[in-house]
Amino acid sequence: MTRSRMVVFASMLVVGVGVVAAVGALYLDPARAAVGPLEAEGLALPADSKFVMGLDVKRFVASPFYARFANDRGQARPDAFAEIEEKLGLNPERDLDRVVIAGREAVGTKKEAGLAIVTGRFDRYKLGRAAEERPGVTTKNHQGTPMYLYNEGARGALAISFLDDDTLVLGSQRSVEAVIDNRSSGAGGLRANAKLLALIEGVKPGSTFWVVGDQSLLSRMPSTIPGGAGGSGVQLPSLRSMVVTGDLDPVVALQITGETVDAASAQNLADIVRGLVAMASLQAQQKPELQQLASAVSVTTQAERVLVNARFPYELLDSLHPKRRGVADAAPAGQ
Amino acid sequence: MTPSAPLAATPPTGDVRPALPLGRGARAVFDLALDGMVWSRRSLAMAVLLALPVVLAIVFRIVLQSDLRVRITPADFYGAVVTFYYLRFALPVAALFYATSLIADEVDGKTLTFLITRPVRRSAILLGKFAAYVVTTLALALPAAVITFFLLATANGWSGIGGRVADLFRDAGVMALALVAYGALFTRFGVVLRRPVIPGLLFIFVWELLANLPGYMPRVTLTAWLRSLVRHRPPQEGLSEVFGQILPAALSLQVLAGATIAFLGLSLWIFSRREYVIEQ
Repeated sequence: MTRSRMVVFASMLVVGVGVVAAVGALYLDPARAAVGPLEAEGLALPADSKFVMGLDVKRFVASPFYARFANDRGQARPDAFAEIEEKLGLNPERDLDRVVIAGREAVGTKKEAGLAIVTGRFDRYKLGRAAEERPGVTTKNHQGTPMYLYNEGARGALAISFLDDDTLVLGSQRSVEAVIDNRSSGAGGLRANAKLLALIEGVKPGSTFWVVGDQSLLSRMPSTIPGGAGGSGVQLPSLRSMVVTGDLDPVVALQITGETVDAASAQNLADIVRGLVAMASLQAQQKPELQQLASAVSVTTQAERVLVNARFPYELLDSLHPKRRGVADAAPAGQ
Repeated sequence: MTPSAPLAATPPTGDVRPALPLGRGARAVFDLALDGMVWSRRSLAMAVLLALPVVLAIVFRIVLQSDLRVRITPADFYGAVVTFYYLRFALPVAALFYATSLIADEVDGKTLTFLITRPVRRSAILLGKFAAYVVTTLALALPAAVITFFLLATANGWSGIGGRVADLFRDAGVMALALVAYGALFTRFGVVLRRPVIPGLLFIFVWELLANLPGYMPRVTLTAWLRSLVRHRPPQEGLSEVFGQILPAALSLQVLAGATIAFLGLSLWIFSRREYVIEQ
C-alpha cells in the first residue's frame, strides 16, 4: 500500500469509526426519540391533537433561565417541593425527565382539556395513595391499565394513569382512555396524523422545549394586529402550521418556523415581523437596553415558510425586567 | 514570447497503440494523481485549513469547561462551522486550489505532453484526476467534520446525541456534494483559463455574495443551493439576514447534480478538443 493510500485509508477509518459511533448512538442512546424529539409513548397521543408541545425538564432545570427566573420566585419554592416529595415521593426537579402536552379538538360544545404524558421516576405507591386519599377520586381499569378518576361521570372529569413505571399520563378521561387504547393496540394515535407527525419530525433535536401546531389550531389565532393606516390594523397572512423550538442555555434561543399558504404570504409575514423588529430598533434609540433586541432577531423566508431566529442574552432579558435586575445580579453568571 | 509546441488531440493511427478503455485509463491516471495530490504542500495547507474547526471545537470545550461565558450552544457552534466555515469558505477554497490545478499544473510543469501522448484518452485523464481530487479532499474534510461533530455534540455529555446524528450524516453528504460541485466548476476554470485562481477567488468571495440578495439572484450561485440542504440556520446580520432565502431541498439536489454534470461535461469536452501550448 502506498503512502497516499495509507493516508486515505486512515482518514476513512476515522470517518468509519465516527459513522459506527453515530449509528450506535442512534440505536443505543436512551434518549433516542421515536419521531423527532417525541418518544415512543408520545405516539399514543390522540390523532386529533391540534398541537403538541414538549419540555425537556432536565435541560430546563439545568438552564440559567431556571436559575434566574424560577429560583427568585421566593424562598417558599423549596418548601413546596419538599412537601410534594414527602406526600408523593416526587421531586419534580430531580425525578421528571420530559413532559409532552397535547391539545385536542373540542367535542360538540365541550371544551377539551389538554393531555400530558410525563416521563421520569415515580414512587407509584405514594402517588397512588395520595390520589386515593383525595375526596371524589375513584379507580377504574381500562384495558387492564388502572386509572384514577376525579369527578368521574361529571363534566370535566380528570384521569391519571401509569402507562408503565416511568410514564404517567394525565388529562380528561376521554383523552387518557384514548392514549391507553392507542398504546395497547400499537396503532392509531399520532401515527394517523401525518401532518402533525411531519411537523414533529422537523423539530430541532436536543431542544429544551418545542411546540408544533397545525392549521386547526392556528385558524383561531387573530388575523389582524392593531395599528396600520386608518386604524384598520395590519392583516396577518394565515398560517398552515407552526414549529417553535427553544433552548435556554447559554442564551434564550428561539427558532420559529411558520408555513403560510404561498411564497407571497410568507414574504408578507416576514416583512411584518421585520417591521416589528424595526420598530423595536427605533425604540432602542430611546431605550439603550433595547439596542440588543433588534439584532437578536433575524427573519428569513424559504418558499412558503418564514423562519424567525431569535437569541436573547440573559442580560437583555434582565434589562427588560428592571425588578429582576437586582436578583439576576445576585445569581451566578451563566448559571 | 517563447517558441511553443501545440499539443492537439490526435486520434490514434495504425502505428500508435490504441487508447485504453475509459475506465482503465481513468483508473491508471487516478492512481498516479492520488500519490501526487495527497503528498503535496497543497494538501498540507488544506489539511490545516479543513482541520481548523477541530482546534476551534477543542478550544470551545475548554472555554465551556472553564465556565467562561459563551453565548452560543455547542450545537449552534457546530451549525455555524458547517454553514459558514465549511460550506461558505473552506470547501470552495479547497476545491479551487485542487480542481483548477488538475490541468493547469501539468501545463505549468510542462508535463502535459507526457500525459496526453500516452495511450490514454483525454477524457480518462481528466476523469481520473477529478476522482483523485474528490478522494483527496474528502479524506481531508470528512474526518475533521466527524471529529468536530463529536467534540461539540458531546460537550454537555452524551445524552441526546442520538437525535443529532442525522445532522452529521446530512452535513457529510452536503460537504461531499459541495466538493464535487465546486470541483466540477473549478475544473472548468482550470481547463479554460491559464490563471484560474484569481477568477476562482472572485467567484467565491464576490459572485457567491449574490446568495444574500432578494428575488432569483441566489439561484445563480452554488452556495444558496448548498446551504438550503443543511438544517442549520445560524443567525445572520446585514443583507443575508434581511433577504436570506432557503430554497427547496429536492430542487437544490437536482440543480447541484445538474450543475456538476454540466460543468464536468463541459470540462471534458473542452479538454478533449483544446490545443494546449506549452512554453519551451
